[in-house]
Order: sequence, then structure tokens, then C-alpha cells
Amino acid sequence: MSGNATLPADGLIAVVKRDCPTCVLTAPVLAELAVRDTLAVFTQDDPTFPEIVADRIDDTALDASHRLRIEIVPTLIRMEAGREIARTYGWDRAEWERVARTDGIGAGLPASRPGCGARNVEPGILENLKVRFGETGITARRVELGRAEDEAEAMFERGWSDGLPLVAPTEERVLRMLQGTTRDPAEIIGLAPPDLAPATVEKIAINAVMAGCKPEYLPVVLATVEAVLDEPFAMHGVLATTMYVGPVLVVNGPVRQRIGMNALGNALGQGNRANATIGRAVQLVIRNVGGGRPREVDRATLGNPGKYTYCFAEDEEGSCWEPLSVERGLAPGVSAVTAFAGYGLQGVVDQKSRTPESLSRSFAECLKSIFNVKLAPACDAILVVCPEHERTFRDAGWSKRRLYEELYRLCEIPGEDLIAGAKGIAEGGPATLAGTTINKFRPGGLMVVRAGGGAGMFSGIIGGWAASGGRGSSPVTKEVRS
Amino acid sequence: MADLESRGIPTVGVATTEFIEAAAVQAKSLGTDPAYVFIPHPVQDRTDAELRALAEEHAERILGLLGRG
Amino acid sequence: MTVLLDPTSERSPTLRPRLARPERLDGLTIGLLDISKPRGDVFLDRLDEILTERQIAVRRYMKPTMTRPAPLALRQQIAAEVDVVIEGLAD
Repeated sequence: MSGNATLPADGLIAVVKRDCPTCVLTAPVLAELAVRDTLAVFTQDDPTFPEIVADRIDDTALDASHRLRIEIVPTLIRMEAGREIARTYGWDRAEWERVARTDGIGAGLPASRPGCGARNVEPGILENLKVRFGETGITARRVELGRAEDEAEAMFERGWSDGLPLVAPTEERVLRMLQGTTRDPAEIIGLAPPDLAPATVEKIAINAVMAGCKPEYLPVVLATVEAVLDEPFAMHGVLATTMYVGPVLVVNGPVRQRIGMNALGNALGQGNRANATIGRAVQLVIRNVGGGRPREVDRATLGNPGKYTYCFAEDEEGSCWEPLSVERGLAPGVSAVTAFAGYGLQGVVDQKSRTPESLSRSFAECLKSIFNVKLAPACDAILVVCPEHERTFRDAGWSKRRLYEELYRLCEIPGEDLIAGAKGIAEGGPATLAGTTINKFRPGGLMVVRAGGGAGMFSGIIGGWAASGGRGSSPVTKEVRS
Repeated sequence: MADLESRGIPTVGVATTEFIEAAAVQAKSLGTDPAYVFIPHPVQDRTDAELRALAEEHAERILGLLGRG
Repeated sequence: MTVLLDPTSERSPTLRPRLARPERLDGLTIGLLDISKPRGDVFLDRLDEILTERQIAVRRYMKPTMTRPAPLALRQQIAAEVDVVIEGLAD
């Protein structure tokens, strides 16, 4: 008889495994009980155990154990008329006598001995059982691949990919991913453009699996999706624009260490799984849930490589400045993601400046060339200051506020320089700009973060979208919730 | 056919009714939904005139599965 | 058999969708691919004539053998030279 058979309606049930000293200890007791009562013994690992009991049931598939919700072995259950009326686990003579409704069993055994973890609740095994029994609570449509379909090709063929290979979102994987959050899988984080389709925790988890995320990244992915789907971020516009931008994500707080993000060497580059897959997951959500794809609603002329993934952690520990999330109003020590509509990286090389004034001018001259030297205001931007550059400001005692003041001042541009035709360039503004001063940035349009490796005087500028602030996209910061 | 479609080339297959089941099995195992026009089996023993007539008879349906207009 | 969870908003069928068809066939080039079963050529010849009468450009191709799929080079060539394909005659 296999564990798949109907469970006995009356009598005793025992669930054991050979790989458990307490089960071995209580085997003779089971033999005693088998004489006194009806007893069905289910073995989880070795169907020849316990030898001393003649009628053993092979439950290596763990069906019976799952249906009985076994957590510890040995477990002893009394059934009556198809209902469970008593249960005990581990070995405790008094308890066993209660459940078995008999006494004088297990002579020579200690009074009690703790049991062992049951096989059916081991990680991995439990998910498989839940999937097999249809208990996952997952509501997404199932997609059956053809027998002759290669799993990796199948996902490309269905248009789910950003061009790179995906991890197949099996039910087991998605179930494990959902364990990374306490949030309800049915919770709607936002409506994904352009289709305005609900991005549920479950749908985000499916795309996070495909992106290659670990379950512990899911809370960050959820905060990221929440940020980009927030109305001020204007995700539809960010997607549909002919300009370069896509979501750029800056992560702050303790979650960075917990999930091993990179804020240091090559922070904006490849090689760190959390950086790479969190950014990728949000792009896949827009693609697959929202239906936003290049050369369809996404009309980007060139786009930029950051549209595969663009996510990094700020180096808070080395910085003399408050983290970006704190600057934007969150309490220190709170994990958060800031989403910014941005693109690419413009290098700022300065290996000679020894003063904050000189270094600020290097930054400002580079900032003023975003989009075109003839355009102001141009867009929002993130200035990523590398450690060797940040040191110059720290040594001079410059707060972040001081740096912002300096940069804004240096980014004031004489209107004459911006007029169409000035500098022999047709691009530019109307003649009425003459006599005015225009800032390259709107107030609040510049954000400074610290990141990067310890060697190298190479900072970077992440440009934004021409439609910024109320006219377009504003950066959005969301707390990471588990 | 699935390969040509994956290269961006809309494709229609023409086959005899004998092939209907095989086409369905193949489609299911590849997870595709190929466009087919089925003509009466057999064709091997038909005269040239009969085959030409079959082509004329089914031309509209074939072209209809290739282009919308 | 592998079952995956659908990452999309589920607004379209799960089968790999057929490619969108062009609006009109005039101005396009149709490839006629003979899969090399006997008598298929007669059928395709007549289609060729019908299309040519309608001023639709036609290119003809033939699989080298009916027992194996079309070789990669042939598929690449077809994809580069035509807009749509009629493949026949299978039985």
C-alpha cells in the first residue's frame, strides 16, 4: 500500500523515518501497539523501516505526511470515524499512552525523547508538495510548454525577454520568491503602463524570478516597482519618450548589506547579482505586465544600456554626507529605493583639483554640457561622486548643502550663450534670453550620491529626461518593506 | 514554418487532410499556432489539371491567411 | 512537461502568437517553398501563375530533401529575400 492510498478512518496512524534516533527508539513501541490496536505506520524515507512492524506503508513520496500535516517524527495520531481526535509527536510515554488509550508501553525506554524534523517540511520539499497538491495559492495563468520546446528558447519566443536569457518561472521558484516578502501575493503595487495592468506582488515575483533575483531581493524589487509606478514618476512618459531614459535606482539603508549590494568598485557596472537583477526585474515588469516594449510604445531613438538594468547602492559608510534617502526625507537607517528617470554615464575626470572650489568647477562644467551646452534648463541629473573626489569635500568640511549651493551657482548660464545661433550652433533659445541668466537645473533637479571604488578620481553624471518635475518625471523614493 | 515565423516571415502551410492530425501534434509540442490550409487527400495520384484546379480553388483562402487585405 | 507561470498581464493567449500579417500583399514578395514531396510543384506552379497575374512578386525555393527540415542557409536566404511564405505540399 502506498502513501497515496486513503488514510485509515479509524485506529492509530504513526509517521516515522529511519533517519531519526527517536523513531528507531520507539519502533518496539509501535510493534506493541500493532498488537493491541489497528495501526498504520507510514515511513518517510526507507520503506523497510521499522522492520519490527509487519505492515509498513511506503510514504517516500510524502503524500500522506503532507496531508496529515506532519512536522515532527515520530508522530502518533488517533483517528475516529475519519476524523483526527488526538495527536502527539516525539516520544513521551504519557502522551503516547493518552493517544493510544492504553498503558504499560515502552518499558525500558526513557520517559521522553524529542523527535526530529519531518522530511515533508524540509525546504524545497515542502514547495514541491504544495505545488503538487495545488496549494500554492498562486493565481497566475499556467503556460504549458510544448514537449519539444526548449525551456530557454520558449521564453524568448514568447517575447518575455529583454534580449538576455531568463530564469524559467516555475511554480516552485515563484513560491520560493514569494517567501521573500510577508506581503499578500494578491496585493496590487501599482498599475503598469502602457496597458495599466495591475502589477501584483505575485506578477512582480514571477518577473523577479525571470530576472534572476533571490527571494531576499523581492522587498527591494517591490519598493522599486512601487516607486516607478507612483504618479509623479510618470512611468508612461518615461517609457514612451524618444529620449534616452529608463528607471535608474539608488538603494539606501541596511538592506544593501543584508542582500550584498555593491556600492564600491564598479558599482554601476556588471558583476553583482543584487545590483544586476533588481534593476532588470523592474524593466521586465514594465515589459511583461505593462506591455511596454521597444519600437512599440517605447519610442526611444537610441535608448541606453541602462535599460537592461541600472541599479546600485550608495556608499553611505564612507560618506561624509547624508544618504540620498535622508536628503529626500526618510529617517536615517531606513532602507529605501529612489527611482530616477535617467540614462548612461558621463565621466568627470579630475586628477588635479586639490580644493573643493576647483573640483566643483570641474563638476559644473561637465554638468552644463548635459544634452547640449546650448540647452538650459536641460534635465534633472544625479552626480555620482567617487570616494577620492568626496574626500576633497570632506577634508574641506563641505556639507552636501554647501556643495549643492556651489554647483547651482556655477550652473547659472548667461542667456546670450544659450540663444539659437550662439557659438555657431542653431540649437538654442529665443533672442529674449539676452540679459537673463538661466540655470542648467531646476531647483531640486540635482542629486548627489557617493559611490565607487577607492582608487580613481573619476566621478560620473547620470543625465535625466527633458520633461522633469511637474512637466514630466520627478524622482520618487519609497521605503523598502518586508 | 515555426522557424520562418521566428525570423519575422508570416507563413502559411498547405497540406492534405491526411496531415491535419500531424500538424496539430506538432503545433502542440512546439506551443505554436501555425496557419494551415488543408486540401482533400490524396494528391499523389491526381492529374496536373486536377492539381491546378485545387490551387485555383484554394488560392483565396491561402492568401487570406497571409495578408489581411 | 514544463509548466511556467505567466509573467504577463494575461491579455493575450498563451500559445505563441502567430506573427501579425501584413495589411496588403501588393508590393510584397511571396516565397513559395516546395517541401519536396511529389506533385507539390504542380500545385505551387499554379499558385505562382495566379500571384504573378496579380502583379505580386514571387520567388521559388525548394528543400533539398523532404525527409529533413530546410537547411539553415536556405531559411536565412528565404528570410532575407521575401516578406511572406507559402509552404507546401505536405501529406
